[in-house]
Amino acid sequence: MTRPIIPRFVVIPVLLVLARPAAAQQAPWASVMGQAIGVVTSVERAPGGKGMTEARLTQPMMMLHAGALNGHLRFTGTLNVEGQTIPKGELLPGGWGEGYNDRRHPHTYAHELMVSGVDLLGGLGGVRFSVSAGKGFVPFGSDDPMSRPVYRYPVNHHLSQLLERGVAIAGVRAGPLSLEASLFNGDEPERPGQWPLLSRFGDSWSARVTLFPIEGVEVSGSRAKVHSPEHRPGAGTDAWKWHAAVRLDRAAVGGRMYALGEWGRTAEANGFFVFKTLLLEGSYRRAGHLGYYRFERSDRPEDLRELDPFRSIRPHLENSILGTTRFTLHTIGYGYEIAMADGALALEPFIEGTIGSARNVGGGVLTPEILYGSTQVRALSGGIRLGWRMAGHRMGRYGDLLGPVPIASHHHAM
Amino acid sequence: MTLLSRTRLPLAALCAVAACSAGNNTGPLSQGLLTIVSGNNQVAPVGTVLQPYRVKVSDQNGSPVSGVYVHWQVNGGGGSINPDSAISDASGISSAIATLGSTAGMQAVTATLNGYSGSPVPFHSQGTTGQAFSVLSGGNNVPERYTSDLWVADGFAYTGTWGQRAALGNAVKIWRLSTSGAPILADSIITPSIVTVSDVQVSDDGKWLVFTAEGGGSNGNPGLHVYELTAPGTAVFRAKVNIPEGLHTGTVARIGGTLYAFTAKDPPNCALRIYDLSAAATGSITPASSTPIPDNYCIHDTFVRDGYAFVFAWNEGLYIFDVGNGSHGGSVTTPVQVSRTAGFGGETHNGWWFWNPVSGEKKYLFIGEEGPGAVGASSSGDIHVVDVSNLAAPTEVAHYHLTGAGTHNFWIDESNQRLYAAYYNGGVVALDISGTLAGDLASREIARIKPGGPNDTYVWGVMMYNGALYASDMVSGLWQLGVP
Repeated sequence: MTRPIIPRFVVIPVLLVLARPAAAQQAPWASVMGQAIGVVTSVERAPGGKGMTEARLTQPMMMLHAGALNGHLRFTGTLNVEGQTIPKGELLPGGWGEGYNDRRHPHTYAHELMVSGVDLLGGLGGVRFSVSAGKGFVPFGSDDPMSRPVYRYPVNHHLSQLLERGVAIAGVRAGPLSLEASLFNGDEPERPGQWPLLSRFGDSWSARVTLFPIEGVEVSGSRAKVHSPEHRPGAGTDAWKWHAAVRLDRAAVGGRMYALGEWGRTAEANGFFVFKTLLLEGSYRRAGHLGYYRFERSDRPEDLRELDPFRSIRPHLENSILGTTRFTLHTIGYGYEIAMADGALALEPFIEGTIGSARNVGGGVLTPEILYGSTQVRALSGGIRLGWRMAGHRMGRYGDLLGPVPIASHHHAM
Repeated sequence: MTLLSRTRLPLAALCAVAACSAGNNTGPLSQGLLTIVSGNNQVAPVGTVLQPYRVKVSDQNGSPVSGVYVHWQVNGGGGSINPDSAISDASGISSAIATLGSTAGMQAVTATLNGYSGSPVPFHSQGTTGQAFSVLSGGNNVPERYTSDLWVADGFAYTGTWGQRAALGNAVKIWRLSTSGAPILADSIITPSIVTVSDVQVSDDGKWLVFTAEGGGSNGNPGLHVYELTAPGTAVFRAKVNIPEGLHTGTVARIGGTLYAFTAKDPPNCALRIYDLSAAATGSITPASSTPIPDNYCIHDTFVRDGYAFVFAWNEGLYIFDVGNGSHGGSVTTPVQVSRTAGFGGETHNGWWFWNPVSGEKKYLFIGEEGPGAVGASSSGDIHVVDVSNLAAPTEVAHYHLTGAGTHNFWIDESNQRLYAAYYNGGVVALDISGTLAGDLASREIARIKPGGPNDTYVWGVMMYNGALYASDMVSGLWQLGVP
């Protein structure tokens, strides 16, 4: 088991902060949260052309957030046991990543183990400087879909997020602007119990700038170079990534409105392959009712499938793909939240449907017609979300660099 | 009319009655049988020196007859035959070499042995003009699968299959070649629980069909499969080695008279694995050695000649091992690394050590680089020419680039000093590799062809056989091409 990374540049500033005389001391604190989702998903056409229906327990996780040293030291930990509940992944037309296709891969058990030094300069000159290190999300792109209203993971998950890496982050927040930069290992995990390759730490980098023009609005831009993400020993090519997003989350008309618009571009093999994504989603919650919609147009690179048509040949042997499939999907859903235990516990039944198309772009031998016998995509999911103290939780940022107003996701303020 | 002539006429009539004419039956007055062995129906540019024509002389019991002179003669189409009288050897074989005439068209040659049934034996070969490939036959003949590698031997072609189309790539197709060389599907070997037949080869003696497979994991059948060809085109399973990770390629070659398979084990733990096939008839394949190769995308192909194994290992580059030459004390059980050279564009994929019969040189190793591509649509990667005069220090001296496409497997017609390269969506390219090679070889291109047309071509491999070039195209099947 690999120890979490805590570089010296985290420890030293923390010690400096400790040395400063404290004014009003904040006691150490810890908060435990968790969630799980029981869901039944039915797809009209799985690989092979036949329909498929599955019932699964997804996103079962416990989170520990803790703070000490007058708020200057923070810990974020997420234990995710999808490796036990969905070892073969979750049925998801269009989904891909880590050797899974038309299924979402199970996340690693140690989904997050991050230590942050927050505001290490004590707000000197109005600047909040933070550092973070450990295993978790890279500062790139948008929030993890786990903390967004739509149940279905988008096709663009591996175009718009970089997760489960050994990462060291430095961040600065000055007024309405924040800047994050990171170094991390490029390799994706191959199974839930796998840790990042320490020997590859630093072979990849990212940067994200976020503007908070008004309360509840974020505008971000990201850039990253990820070395050999799909070949763990490092023989693969570099993925150069761009991402831009606008996010809205604020009270509106007696309820809460959320919206996200994002664009992403990933170029691999010195630009031989380019994959793009455009996603728009929004939700409105009021008096327990939640309605949401997502439009997505995203590219998926096609790999040679195994005898199990949901799995790709891994490890890679070469830098070729079998074509690119462009998914254009509309997802609409409804949920109703039942709050219990003074709002700490939330039970939310939901139903969600997806309709759209899958088309080959640019040629290649693995087309939707071969995979599914059709270019049409139709799926239906229904289930119950169970959340414990998940209100305001976002996934993918560390170091307290977000805007001052707590942001609610599908886990609305309880 | 003299008494002699009056006597000959009845004798001639008697011969006619006794069927003393061309045919397979030996008449009562026939001394034996003259039959064709090989070389018929070649297609080549005008003026080409063809592969030898061979006939067999047998007695009435079918036993070979040595020491008789067979008369060879050009009967039409110009050109020449040499020698015009060739003695049969201990196997009863008489052979001669034809050179095509200077004008396009059919050249007719006969082999004559008076008093033998079947004589005269006719040979026909086609002379072509212009520097262009031509499609002779085949194509669009594997609609349900994608086609992979090929091998042609003894009047039959064998092609592998790949990935997922309407059916999985779990078949080896067996094609009988017609008298004109056209492939006609005769049989298929289906191996369950694999995804791809990654490599196919027939041994030099025509007795063994060997192929490698990928996909299926530990519950499938990836690995090495060995079939005995009890007759050309008739394959009987004899032995296999299951490798759960799969084998990417397998090259069959003899070292010290023993047949071995030089295989590329897929990751993790990539390796050059050499297997002894000498006991395959009894169902036994014996591992000879396993040489680890770093997982820098592992080995993609191996070329074996003169006791050296040239291992093409992607970003690792080129490894040269002594596997029996003895120059560095190596053997198949203990391969000794002669050199390792990175470069050649990276993505080092395959190669051929060219022994030039005209110049006597053995200095050039041709290496294929397989760059990124979308299978079926695009590709990249060049041919790199490496001077291996010193095997310990290979040095690149020339290259060939085809814009918009990348090379895959290739075949060298050594006697004619030509390289034929499969170029995926670029089709097939012919290069003149005679003389000294240096720099950009663009001027050495002779011709190119996309056998399936601009939108239906993705050529995996090529092989010369009987003067025609056979091409396995992933999307459009097996083609017979006339060469420029």
